[in-house]
Amino acid sequence: MGDAQPLLQVKDVSKSYFDNGKEFKILDRIRFELAEHDFVCVVGPSGCGKSTLLRIIVGLDTPTSGEVLFEGHPIRADNPQVAMVFQSFALFPWLTVAQNVELGLEALHEDPAKRRAVAKKFIDAVGLTGFENAYPRELSGGMKQRVGIARALAIEPLLLCMDEPFSSLDALTAQNLRDEILQLWSNPDLPPEAVLMVTHSIEEAVYLADRVIVLSSRPGRMVAELEIDLPRPRNRKDPEFYGWVDEIYSLIV
Amino acid sequence: MRGLRGRLRILAVALIVIGIGTAIVFPDAARAAATLPILALFSVLRMVAAYLLSLLFAISYGHTAATNRRAATVMLPVMDILQSIPILGFFPFVLLFFVNGPLGDPVGIETAAVFLIFTSMAWNMAFGVYESITTLPQDLDQAARGFGLHGWLRFRLLAFPAMVPKLVYNSILSWTNGWFFLVASEIITTPRASYIRPGLGSFIYLAGQRGDLGGIAIGIAALATVVLLLDIFLWRPTSVWSERFRIETTAAGERPSLHVPSPYERLRWLPRFPRLRREVARRIQPLLDGYARSSSKLDRVYSSHRRVIRAVRRADIGMFVVIFVIVVATGLIGLVGFFQRPLPPGARDLPIAAAFSFSRLLLAYLTALAWTIPAAAWLGRSKWAARFVTPAFEISASIPATALQPLIIGFAVVVTMGGYFAGEIGAYLVSLFAMQWYLLFNLIAGVRSIPGDLDEAARGFGLRGRTYWRRLLLPALVPSLATGSITAWGAGWNALIVAEYLQFGQSVFSVTGLGASLYGATVVTGDYAMGYLTVLTMTAVVLILNKLLWRPIYKRAAVKYRMEV
Repeated sequence: MGDAQPLLQVKDVSKSYFDNGKEFKILDRIRFELAEHDFVCVVGPSGCGKSTLLRIIVGLDTPTSGEVLFEGHPIRADNPQVAMVFQSFALFPWLTVAQNVELGLEALHEDPAKRRAVAKKFIDAVGLTGFENAYPRELSGGMKQRVGIARALAIEPLLLCMDEPFSSLDALTAQNLRDEILQLWSNPDLPPEAVLMVTHSIEEAVYLADRVIVLSSRPGRMVAELEIDLPRPRNRKDPEFYGWVDEIYSLIV
Repeated sequence: MRGLRGRLRILAVALIVIGIGTAIVFPDAARAAATLPILALFSVLRMVAAYLLSLLFAISYGHTAATNRRAATVMLPVMDILQSIPILGFFPFVLLFFVNGPLGDPVGIETAAVFLIFTSMAWNMAFGVYESITTLPQDLDQAARGFGLHGWLRFRLLAFPAMVPKLVYNSILSWTNGWFFLVASEIITTPRASYIRPGLGSFIYLAGQRGDLGGIAIGIAALATVVLLLDIFLWRPTSVWSERFRIETTAAGERPSLHVPSPYERLRWLPRFPRLRREVARRIQPLLDGYARSSSKLDRVYSSHRRVIRAVRRADIGMFVVIFVIVVATGLIGLVGFFQRPLPPGARDLPIAAAFSFSRLLLAYLTALAWTIPAAAWLGRSKWAARFVTPAFEISASIPATALQPLIIGFAVVVTMGGYFAGEIGAYLVSLFAMQWYLLFNLIAGVRSIPGDLDEAARGFGLRGRTYWRRLLLPALVPSLATGSITAWGAGWNALIVAEYLQFGQSVFSVTGLGASLYGATVVTGDYAMGYLTVLTMTAVVLILNKLLWRPIYKRAAVKYRMEV
């Protein structure tokens, strides 16, 4: 494998559902690549199949045609190099914060002492020190999503996939978590190396991403792939920032 | 809490004084009562054995039906039919199998009793497991897959915890069903012999045969005590614990389900013994820690021994096949039995018997409806009633109708002075007692689940009296009425089997009906072909009613009258 090999290759992925013999196309020939250190956002109106796309990319769903390669091999759902953060948090209500974070490590059969140490490290990294033994129902939405992020990072993935991770949180909490994700991503000592995020908020995409992939609605088709070359940290009041937002907005409508 | 403990102490002293007083006045009854604890132990052991079997069965059956689509096409209808048919009717045939088998008396009899209780407990639990797994939020399932949870680990961390709430809820229901059948299973009569196994049920039955009202009362009190003690020390803590496993997020695609009364709503007046409970929790904590420590080792062992899991699966499926074969075999043997001979002479009377049985149940159902709807409207909303009246009903409801049967027929004999109508009244009352509690408690839960703002809106717009009932209360009660009615009719058919042929002292009171016909055929004359035909008729009636009446009503109720909370 050469150095030029991208981390993730999405090759002409299409997805259709069949209902009474009728074909409903959800995704139409999506094609892009993602390299190490990339931060890519997929934006599109609701119902454009972006969540389905993300599930196909992490191997939880299968494409009707096309394929997804991770490090040159077909993707598998339980690949520990890829971790997923859910919009609904998807925490196990009967497990404590620490046990939720240890979930992926348990599946890898790490020994309990190591599991605990790793979980502690990432619980601290997302700022939940002291809540190790709390149950998800005792936490606020923002804290729940921190657990979701810590759980994904605990298996030390190369690629972090996020499905509208901040859309069920209030605006202030969401902004804090966005900055924290950026910090984790830019920190070379901590995972992840690359982030792929699905969102319906154009502003969020411009704020976070190096590259934005714009999908159209029904079926989801790639409308554009844009390099956002704004310097970081980005300022939402910057006219250039707004230039990008407007451009993407006009592409969708 | 001090006040409560003080009151309990006074209650205990009062009970002891009453006990000593009764013992002095009725020395015979006292002697009989001294055997009660050991009899209670026998009865509970039978229940525990049947319950553990049901638990194992329910988990593996429900899990397989939920995860294996091909198996589900057979397993679901089987579960559905076996859940709704009057199992008690098949008991004589199952008995024949066990008593005449190699086990004999007493092992065969005990096995038959446990098997009967098992068949009354297993199905709703299996349905609970099935529902828990099929309604698992998609995101949790995907998270589990994404993080690589497979096999045993997935079961331990995802599937099993997800089934806990419904499993616990249905366990409580199953125990209620189980007590009903336990009482019926301890006295086993065939045309050739009568087998009586020691237990609370047989104690009550024997007292009834002697016409000993004091003995009946003591037996029933003992049974109620056991049921309530188990509620305090087993089921209430378990249902509190099970709340931890409730999944709160309502995922898209979840099927609409009717309101189910939370086990919390039951028996909320019972003492909770917080100190004792903390003490027990402290004692078992090291055990739980030990389990947690060794669980990862266990996981490794399990995942390296896939064969063990496969063996367990196979054993479960084997158990299912055995049960299935028994049911099908008894069915086939019966069928062959009657094609060899001409139809038994009594067959012509079966439609009339069915009509009589149905009218009896209908009358009992309408009576129950007439008093439970207003009662629930009051009990569900009055704090005072919830505190003082509901407990009285809950104690009464904890006594299975089968245990009340000697008392009821005794009452009927006294009222009618031993006339023909004693049998009719007895059968009607036993059915009423078997049916009414399911309606009452479901309806109370329905009243309690009416959202507060809806009630306030109704009152705010000035809905009062009849309009209030017509526009809010009755429509809101439709779902719980549907659930309650289905369960009540199920219980009613089972009750008929013991209700239509009653004995008090030396007299026998038999009325026209399927239950009496079954009893006559399998116990008195030994005409098994006739008995088989009777059970078949009853099953057909029940299944037709379910398909044509209850299922459509339930579906409509689930869609139209559901409260979106």
